[in-house]
Amino acid sequence: MSTTEPKGIAGHGAFFQPTNLSPEDARRATAWVEKVVDKRTVDLGERMDDVRDHMWELEREGEIIVHRITDAHRPRMVKTLFGWDKKIPTAQLWHHKSCGQCGNIPGYPTSLLWTMNELGMKPGTDYLDETDQTSCTAWNYHGSGIGNVESLAAVFLRNFHQAYVSAKKLGLDAGHFYPLVHCGTSYGNYKEIRKYLVESPELRERVKKILGKLGRLVDGKLVIPEEIVHYSEWVHVMRNDIVSKLQKIDVSHLRVTVHMACHYSKMVHEDAIYDPEVMGGNRAATGTGMAQALGAQVIDYSTWYDCCGFGFRHIISEREFTRSFTIDRKIKVAREEANADLMLGIDTGCITTMDKNQWIGRAHEKNYSLPIMADIQFAALACGADPFKIVQLQWHASPCEEVVEKMGISWAEAKRKFEAYLAEVKAGKIEYLYDPKLADSMSRAAA
Amino acid sequence: MATYAEMREIYEDITRDFRYEHELNGCLNCGICTATCPSAQFYDYSPREIVQLLWTENVEQVYDAMQEKIWACAQCMTCAARCPFKNSPGGLVAIMREVAIKHGMQSAKDVLRPFGRVMLKLITTGNQLSPDMIQPDHFPDWGPNIQKVEGDLKTLRRAIPMKTLQTTDTAWEVSLKTSVEMYTIWEMTGVLKSLETMDENLYDVIEDFIDEKKEEYEDWLEEQEED
Amino acid sequence: MSDAVLVVGAGPTGLAAAAGVASVGRKVILVEKENVLGGAPILSGYAKLVPSGEWAKDAMGRMVKRVADSKLVTIHKGTKVTKVEGGPGNFACTLANGQTVNAGAIILGTGFTHFDSINKPEWGFGTFEDVVTTTQMEQMVAAGKIACPSDGRTPERVAILLCVGSRDRQIGREWCSKICCTVSTNLAMEIKELSPSTDVFIYYMDIRTFGLYEDKFYWKSQEEFRTKFVKARIAEVTRSPDGRLLVKGEDTLVKRPIVIPFDIVVHAIGMDPNELNPEIARVFGVGLEKHGYIERGEQYTSTFSSTRPGIYVGGSALGPEDIDTSISHGLAMAMRAVGDLAAMGARAAA
Repeated sequence: MSTTEPKGIAGHGAFFQPTNLSPEDARRATAWVEKVVDKRTVDLGERMDDVRDHMWELEREGEIIVHRITDAHRPRMVKTLFGWDKKIPTAQLWHHKSCGQCGNIPGYPTSLLWTMNELGMKPGTDYLDETDQTSCTAWNYHGSGIGNVESLAAVFLRNFHQAYVSAKKLGLDAGHFYPLVHCGTSYGNYKEIRKYLVESPELRERVKKILGKLGRLVDGKLVIPEEIVHYSEWVHVMRNDIVSKLQKIDVSHLRVTVHMACHYSKMVHEDAIYDPEVMGGNRAATGTGMAQALGAQVIDYSTWYDCCGFGFRHIISEREFTRSFTIDRKIKVAREEANADLMLGIDTGCITTMDKNQWIGRAHEKNYSLPIMADIQFAALACGADPFKIVQLQWHASPCEEVVEKMGISWAEAKRKFEAYLAEVKAGKIEYLYDPKLADSMSRAAA
Repeated sequence: MATYAEMREIYEDITRDFRYEHELNGCLNCGICTATCPSAQFYDYSPREIVQLLWTENVEQVYDAMQEKIWACAQCMTCAARCPFKNSPGGLVAIMREVAIKHGMQSAKDVLRPFGRVMLKLITTGNQLSPDMIQPDHFPDWGPNIQKVEGDLKTLRRAIPMKTLQTTDTAWEVSLKTSVEMYTIWEMTGVLKSLETMDENLYDVIEDFIDEKKEEYEDWLEEQEED
Repeated sequence: MSDAVLVVGAGPTGLAAAAGVASVGRKVILVEKENVLGGAPILSGYAKLVPSGEWAKDAMGRMVKRVADSKLVTIHKGTKVTKVEGGPGNFACTLANGQTVNAGAIILGTGFTHFDSINKPEWGFGTFEDVVTTTQMEQMVAAGKIACPSDGRTPERVAILLCVGSRDRQIGREWCSKICCTVSTNLAMEIKELSPSTDVFIYYMDIRTFGLYEDKFYWKSQEEFRTKFVKARIAEVTRSPDGRLLVKGEDTLVKRPIVIPFDIVVHAIGMDPNELNPEIARVFGVGLEKHGYIERGEQYTSTFSSTRPGIYVGGSALGPEDIDTSISHGLAMAMRAVGDLAAMGARAAA
């Protein structure tokens, strides 16, 4: 293939030129290929429905209140699959925690809060972490079938109403804090439920009764958020700030693979971020964008689109499926094909699945191991966060110590210091990222 | 074995769900859903088959699929993202699972059994998962490297620098008021009732727990008023 | 009253319309936004046309010559109509180059836009060099050598994916593009002819080689060229470490998911409404139907009418269309235009 000719958008052009057309005709004949007719610019008219348009209509009709992302939330704009705009708030965030992360990968939320603190965000005004919130209950629903659209909708509206009113007790206006959803399944589920709520007056009517009984209507109306925002979207829009202001460790020697969560990019998938700077805008961008910004080598692999094997009920009661899928379609491929040092995830279930299901492969002579962590944990490490105290890698079953060492951080030294810290913890000397008093909203009774 | 009338009733319950029309528009039988389905690689399960059975009103085979096949779906929803007709086979499976529970089908009971701990945790606290549910000795298949630092769970949890996470029996500290609000949601949406159909013992345990918590909350409210 | 007919677009439809109007001795003003006449077959570098097997350059060349040689046809290249005033019998149209032209009737042969495969990112176009479109593959056929764009090796296996940008509600393209099945079976035969060691697989939902194309293309490609047809729509295209492409599908007749290696993947790209249709609709005051194509008026007694009296529309401006049919539309519109003008003239004289 000639190297002097321009390659064109998909590597075409030069190769196709020596046809029986004159050189000028040939150039003209293939030039159209280089013209990008992007769905991100084509007006799909009424044929592609944007649920947000209907939300505004419902608000005008006095049916709902839309929790707005205002200038105070310092939003940044991104493009989604069809080139629609999505507003990502970067401040005044209400942390909607993930039960899988908090219970199992606590370094996930702590790395996020640490990064926010390092960026100068003030707990209590720039973000809030409180006890008045529940799981989305979607893991249970997708796993067992217990629950229904009504219960999922009531839980969604309850949590998001709390986010809406949470600032009042701090003397701030309603709507001050905007929910930032940590879990991918919560994010996907809430988006799906929002769609049903907007489409179905009957569903709205039914859940209104419940929310009314809970005292969680505003002026007798349901509160629905303008955008449903995943933490990885916040990380994505903040990635250049994180790198320019905080990065301390060079990671350009690391080969990184990214696992894209199904419930981020495939549920209500028109709402996922696609960024021309990340994989040509051809794959959902979060996670990968952060890894690229940090300077790591992001390696593509043949099973990029595949699910991790979590399966909701499968990780509990069909473990043979979960471990086979995650080893064969993820860990093995990342190791053998991409020769990766690390796999990053952007969601709770995937990280749990890939992290915990490696060792058992030995039983089937599939001896593959690969450090697994979240984009924000990796970013925090690169920005100098402590692998134990902040990134909490001690909870991971995969060999995260390997990648920590490759980053030039002494695992043994960090571990020694952490063990010393544990002694202080026992003595009640605990360090917080966040004023513990702020966490108590309506505190537990006797506890 | 169910009668045809019973199977028909189950089928109609599926189609009555308001999401049904939304999730099933027809089928081009292109196979894109099954192509991209993780479960189709491991089980005798095909989302295209589920769609086809529903679309063609094959009530016997729908009933048959509800015995086992619908529980193979991993709910990743890749099928829904790919379907050129904008069906959601995964969404249809979710409806079928709900209906299986409503009818107390044995397959649903079998599936739910190992889910008991999650259910108990979820219904009573509003959290689906807690650190004390994932102790290394519960999961020997996760290997020896699961705990990279020696220490008891309580201390290790207290070493997490977020106050809300320093818990062992919930993923984060959930305020009592929040849990009580959850009970109202469970009651009003029929979730407790479906639990009763599925597992009476579990239901009893949960009921006792809820009553206790509600009392605790009432007491706390009174205390507040006295203050 | 003006008795000239304005024809917009110089592809198969517009060229046929212009020739038709001129053939009965009426004046034609032909406006083409590009600097070259011939429309998509020329602008997009088609190789051999279906079903004639003639080179696009030769076939379209004859159509262009017939119009260009006609003394009755005035051609404006490289310009667009920007304003239309008046009505049937006396339209006054302003061109982008500042000229004004008068016409009694207007024929729109404004055509379509090829679907751009990057809008279906999971199928690998724009990510992997060896994923190409049918038109690019035709260029390769025209060059006389079948080889992988990435490294020039002769492909052992080529997959053609049908319905790329067609019959897909996910991307708002619910229509069938009508001609891709036939074009693809033809392409499969051309590939095999040039490169006998290459096996071609076509992944389809339904094969729509309508009318006489059934045996001439669909059957022949199997019987004489051993093209393999797999009833499957592909979910994703990725690349394996050896550089080959991996295609994920379900063989729906065998009922199992499969991942198959290929050296080249060809997208049989569909026909989008002309991306300029919103502008065309505004300038000419015509309606668009729900997919974005130009809307028809009444079909049975006012065939090829648009929603505005005196303006006719045909060919792929109405919806996905093949070249032969577009040519008939062009001629039919010529009949409509001169017929209506003649009637108007007769009424004016009476």
